[in-house]
Amino acid sequence: MILDLTMSMAVLALMGALATIAGCIEDLESDVGSQSNPNSQVQLAPQMGFLHRIYNKAISGEPISNGLSAVTGGLVTTVLLDAKFYALTAIVLGAFVAALIYGIFATTAYAGRVASQSRFKQPLYMDIMRYTTPSIIGHNFIVNFCLVAIAYIQYAILGYPFTIPFLALIWGISVGAIGSSVGDVHYGGEREFQNREFGCGLNTALSGRIVRRAESGLRNSIDNVWFCAKFGGPATGIALGLTVFFSSWPTTIWGYTWKAMGVGAIILAVMTIMNRLLEIQVKNAYGPYKEDKKEKEAGA
Amino acid sequence: MAVIDPTMLMNIFLIGISGTLICLAVHFIPVGGAPAAMAQATGIGTGTVELAAGSGLVGLITSSYMYAYEPAASMTLVMAAGAMGAAIMLASTMLAGGYIYAYGVAVPFASAQVKKDPITRERQDIYVSKGTQGQGIPTICFVSGVVGSGLGGAGGGLIYFVLMGIYSPLIAASAAAVAGVFTMGVFYVNSVIPSYGVGGTIEGVHDPKFRRVVPKDVLTSFVVSIICGVIAIMITGGMS
Repeated sequence: MILDLTMSMAVLALMGALATIAGCIEDLESDVGSQSNPNSQVQLAPQMGFLHRIYNKAISGEPISNGLSAVTGGLVTTVLLDAKFYALTAIVLGAFVAALIYGIFATTAYAGRVASQSRFKQPLYMDIMRYTTPSIIGHNFIVNFCLVAIAYIQYAILGYPFTIPFLALIWGISVGAIGSSVGDVHYGGEREFQNREFGCGLNTALSGRIVRRAESGLRNSIDNVWFCAKFGGPATGIALGLTVFFSSWPTTIWGYTWKAMGVGAIILAVMTIMNRLLEIQVKNAYGPYKEDKKEKEAGA
Repeated sequence: MAVIDPTMLMNIFLIGISGTLICLAVHFIPVGGAPAAMAQATGIGTGTVELAAGSGLVGLITSSYMYAYEPAASMTLVMAAGAMGAAIMLASTMLAGGYIYAYGVAVPFASAQVKKDPITRERQDIYVSKGTQGQGIPTICFVSGVVGSGLGGAGGGLIYFVLMGIYSPLIAASAAAVAGVFTMGVFYVNSVIPSYGVGGTIEGVHDPKFRRVVPKDVLTSFVVSIICGVIAIMITGGMS
């Protein structure tokens, strides 16, 4: 389908918005289910004698599990579209089926992981499983819906050469990679070790000593997602939104030319400068952890 | 026989080169693995395969769209489109990750592998917190990551371009699907090979590990990618 510039930009903005929601919710799903790298601490805690009430699924690396979920949603959607369903109905049903399958994986992963830790006396809390699993399914449904919708827009409206399931798979892998790189740091670097002084850095000797008490009562994964929704989730959403928007924006405006590639390079340069400004600000704000020996001697 | 046709040999060679580019790219990307997710190591807090494949596949989407809508596009332009998509994905990820390190975990960016940042000339060692291997994404890591993801995206674009040239005359309708899936496969193969060399974490081009492991990994990757290229040609035997 050939779109004029205004319509192309509108479609691009819609895709960017969907990607932002998908990125945010994907990270929150990985926090409520405790997946990816920070889950190593959740897994390690009982071995260090710290029993906890945190969901422990980690089906696989985030990109793979989200890729699986998105491709399942994309596949069901394609089948329903072939059966002449409305696009929105097909996407919703596809995302729902994929989320249910994801819920099955989450349940078996949690039960399996805790069962493997029986020698460390880590209990399998049935109440945690009962009210956290639906939350995981709900989050995953939103992620699938957004990713399959992006894939549908790219395939049906923009005319990408790949099919809906393949595009959904690629975006699922990408959202997992971004969620694992961005939002999980907020969960693993801050939330799990919140009883330490803010900004003290995390000594590797602290491994496994995760916080187990909440603002009220014992901490569970719902408490974690409440905290991460304030920063980690939205930051992940912005990263995926920027990726989807800026990877297409130059070619939408300037066409398939070297000029568009040049604009892409400028975007990269701006991002590099922003990172440098952030680095300067952070170093000025927090200062070094230890003084230089020569400076110390000079001071003395 | 088709395999000894010079054009086919050139195609296999180009797939070998593109696989090697992807393998080389992984070494440039500052991968901190699980420790970085807890701000205990410099770089991005996830694994090599996830990151390289995640960024490279975004590059595959941009390059495939370029190829589909600009049939006259040169090979370099398709590669540039792949490089741009992949680099923007990784730069966005590193920037947003940087904001988390800065304001969510509150740690200054520091590399544990060099005393001074080769680009900014800033001291690094005094900003490394106790008991860690650095934290955050300093400028050298960011630049190295952008360059690396660009190389990976260009490599992915090159494979796609070559495979489309081979498959399009045989299976016009589904050539993009086969080429896309095969490119994804080559991406994963060449993201896994460096994982063994770097041992899970690498800070980028300035890391001493880079010089130590790149020659071996690149050679391995070239050989493996050539085999992938031969398979890519062999499967055309079943296409009609």
